[in-house]
Amino acid sequence: MKVVTGVVGNDIHVVANRLIDLSLQARGYEVFNLGVNTYLEEFFDAVIETNADVLLISSLNGEAEGWGREVKILKSTYGKQLDNVIFMIGGNLVVGTGDSDDIIPRFKNYGFDLVFHQVDLTTGLDALEDYLKGELK
Amino acid sequence: MSLLQEEREIILSNEYVDNFDFAEVEEFVKNASKDLFISHHFKNQKKMLVQPRGGFPTYEKQYALYEFFVKSDVDVLPLTIDSNTRLNDYATAKKMLRLSEENEIDMLNGYPLVSHGYRTTRKMITHFNKPVSLRHGTPDARLLIETAIASGIFEIEGGPITYLLPYSKNFPLDKAFLYWKYVERVCANYSKLNEPINRESFGPLTATLVPPCITIVIQLLEMLLSLEEGVKSFSVSFAQTGSMNQDIVTGAVLRKTAAYYAKEIDCEDAVINLVYHQWMGAFPQNKDFAEQLISMSTIIASMVGADKIITKTREEASGIPTKEANAKTVANTQYTLRILNGLPNVVDEEEEEILTQEVHDIMSAVFNDSADTLWRKVFNCIKNGIIDVPFSPHIINQNEMITVRDKNKNIRIIKRGNVPISDKCYKYEKSKCDLTKDTTSIVNDIIHDIGIMQW
Repeated sequence: MKVVTGVVGNDIHVVANRLIDLSLQARGYEVFNLGVNTYLEEFFDAVIETNADVLLISSLNGEAEGWGREVKILKSTYGKQLDNVIFMIGGNLVVGTGDSDDIIPRFKNYGFDLVFHQVDLTTGLDALEDYLKGELK
Repeated sequence: MSLLQEEREIILSNEYVDNFDFAEVEEFVKNASKDLFISHHFKNQKKMLVQPRGGFPTYEKQYALYEFFVKSDVDVLPLTIDSNTRLNDYATAKKMLRLSEENEIDMLNGYPLVSHGYRTTRKMITHFNKPVSLRHGTPDARLLIETAIASGIFEIEGGPITYLLPYSKNFPLDKAFLYWKYVERVCANYSKLNEPINRESFGPLTATLVPPCITIVIQLLEMLLSLEEGVKSFSVSFAQTGSMNQDIVTGAVLRKTAAYYAKEIDCEDAVINLVYHQWMGAFPQNKDFAEQLISMSTIIASMVGADKIITKTREEASGIPTKEANAKTVANTQYTLRILNGLPNVVDEEEEEILTQEVHDIMSAVFNDSADTLWRKVFNCIKNGIIDVPFSPHIINQNEMITVRDKNKNIRIIKRGNVPISDKCYKYEKSKCDLTKDTTSIVNDIIHDIGIMQW
């Protein structure tokens, strides 16, 4: 199973990014880590180039919303190439305090299959595994 | 005209510089008060120098900050530069400065030195007549350093490695080496006119589980790159690790190896000083706890025997500190230093031996690289992971090394990657840790180890 990951936008917070990379590898995924300060186009191009199954975007500086809302529009310019890819986003997704009950549906509407706001890494990756099992059935 | 002078004229004919007068600046440095030179204070010092952090966009606010600092008995004043100037975006810095001046809201996270210019800034620096340290984070600092020295700022922090690997994703490292070579040469030339200009390296790096051997090697290499261009006063530095013993060992080995390698390149006439940064990782939200942490850092700095300490504030966890909080830290730190007497001399010979061996192992690998100049050797070694900085965001960094804390909170290497520490040292490092854990629990440990001071 191949995963492309990285931190979206102008966000240099690298610590969680390294830990996501390590944890995914430990769970047996093949990881393509684009690192910090990554734009949506770079993520999408990397998914196609590596033929990845999962795109795991993370964000810490609260600016994810501005990038997240562009996902559907940009995805449509790629035709059907990204249709079977699982879109996942996690981290601290809004500026200031926000309620997960509002945030999760909003980001799902942007085109994400899995959304995690201020959820610890293990819980998030366990949920990804459950989701993948469900997909296979 | 020398090649360097030609380059200087190109750099200083920038449209954001108001007519740089080379002869006048040289005359100014030649006749400048000795009190402005930190190298002069280091020479005559009787106590650890205390330096806070801080920079505001407008002249008035920076001036007010300095007034507060002077009242709290500061030894060294900081000038922290805004992020636009750091990235050479002088147009944005200028615009944001104007907005800050007109609306009395700070639109910049530091002092835009190039936008203010040296004629204005010099008035403030000479008025307070204290040494000022330039804090920035700039890969291409050529124009900034020229402006700083012309303003009377005679300590320049940074370096091609320490200002790049923690701060940038893709600024080319080879360019950074060449831009910093210019900085070293300009500092070296001005050093001939009066007391030496001090260069200081930024030891904290990412401040996230960086093992002491990597910190020390990078300090030594930036020191050598500076000394070989003729700099005569250099400060090596590091930040609180989280273990008092590891701090003491790191300080001792850094001092000894710095003297050793300076002599190796026939630069033993240069004066090397040691700087200690109070805890640079995540701070507790509780401001009283933050003050306790700061006091403890000061005690450790004394145990380490640092020549200068750089302070944090009780507001660290909540954003850019106010001038009141900043001044309070200075006064508190001076008080702690006054009452700290009769400190024991702690030496851990075994740890010192291991760390010294690790440093020599990595340094030998750097010197044995086939490139023809030191900066190219260092460049190659970063590229191939002989030097690997945990949690650097830069694309050139290898990220193969993994570090955790042992039960005494010392930072240990459990995966060395391409870093060529000898098998003996590697075995010692690993023997201090529980290696039976699976990766998921190691990741959880790392998360806890990073946030060690928050709870």
